[in-house]
Amino acid sequence: MDTFMRRFGTFVFVALIQILFLNRISLFGYVTPLFYIWLIVKFDSYMKRSGMLLWAFFLGLVLDMFSGTPGLNAASATLLAMVQPGIVKMFVQTERYEQLFPGSATMGGRPFAGYLLIMTVLHHTVYFILRSIPLGDWSVLVLKVVFSTLLTFIFMIVAERLTLSSSSKR
Amino acid sequence: MRSLLDYLVKFSYVFLFIILEILSLVLLFGFNDRQKLAFMTSANSVSGSIAELCSNVDVYFNLRRENTFLVEENARLRSMLYEFTDSQIVRKARIMSSVGVIAARVVDNSVRKDDNYMTVNKGTNDGVEKGMGVYNTTGVIGVVIASGKSYSLVMPILNGNTSISSKIKGTDNFGFLEWQGGDPYTAQLKDVPYHSKVEVGDTVVTTGFSSVFPENITVGTVSDVQRSSNGYTLKILVSLAVDFSDLGWVYIHSKTVDPEIIELQKQLK
Repeated sequence: MDTFMRRFGTFVFVALIQILFLNRISLFGYVTPLFYIWLIVKFDSYMKRSGMLLWAFFLGLVLDMFSGTPGLNAASATLLAMVQPGIVKMFVQTERYEQLFPGSATMGGRPFAGYLLIMTVLHHTVYFILRSIPLGDWSVLVLKVVFSTLLTFIFMIVAERLTLSSSSKR
Repeated sequence: MRSLLDYLVKFSYVFLFIILEILSLVLLFGFNDRQKLAFMTSANSVSGSIAELCSNVDVYFNLRRENTFLVEENARLRSMLYEFTDSQIVRKARIMSSVGVIAARVVDNSVRKDDNYMTVNKGTNDGVEKGMGVYNTTGVIGVVIASGKSYSLVMPILNGNTSISSKIKGTDNFGFLEWQGGDPYTAQLKDVPYHSKVEVGDTVVTTGFSSVFPENITVGTVSDVQRSSNGYTLKILVSLAVDFSDLGWVYIHSKTVDPEIIELQKQLK
């Protein structure tokens, strides 16, 4: 129950940050950070796969309700939750995966950064392709993905730093 | 058989994944009906009231500017009042009697998407209905497309589906104002005949043909005039009067349409 409440806390936290703050950012007209995938990035290997999918789906659905895009965030977040364990395994040895809470402390700084980057690129590509259907201008789409990825990545690195420093103080 | 069942249970998350994805995609591509859209977006009262809480904070930062707008508008109305002679006021008042203006506040808004929507904090309880025009002291904003009890969803000019009947001020040359996406400060006035005299700097106002808007509400100013590709009409770029990224209070124009007009329109259909 404790882990459930903690995860629920993270859920509310990322949803609020996204709705109240990040959704209002729109650099150059199309760069919006989608930091909420932090919840999915941090899914640990003790979780059930179906649990992961449901958490991600409902997070996406809540965000969709506030951004007027029914299904958009839900679809891309669910897909990300589906491939998350596979991507984690790309960056750690199999035996260590058995009990892993993804983070720079457990995975090492560089592998974790690589993991974050792949997760972000994947999610943002799906998100922006779905959002801009019917596909018109490919160059704009690529720009959106690249710069939003960059911004989300920076936000997540900062978040990781903050959680690390707060946990080391304890 | 047993192992098959085990297998199915072990990979049940795959089915869950497929179901959730299908559900999301149905939501994403199946929601064309505006009423359903209104439910999903902030016109639904839960997210509407949260959006209003956020904008409650924003409001304080804009008080000074909103005040200036109101004083300016007061001044303009006063000067109009003095221009009318008594009999004109009486006549005007008779026309205006079927017209109501509802003041509302924008609680949720976007300008950077391909199809933008905004939410205002008045709904059917306050007399707001689908099809009413929304404007503020600077100009035309959009049209109400759905309303809940206490919130309404507005489709602003900055939406690919909006088309507003507009004309060049002082002439009868009218066309339809549409937005091409991208730049939130510019829209296009289409279907104005080629022979019309339109110059850069001319003011574009509403026609008042439909009962959505009153006549002569400012839409923007002409920033560029070209001949359109079919050659019979002009392609007029209009720089919009309203800054959509910065909206506070708005007016909703509610006019009870003459039943005779409704009857005529029904016959057409």
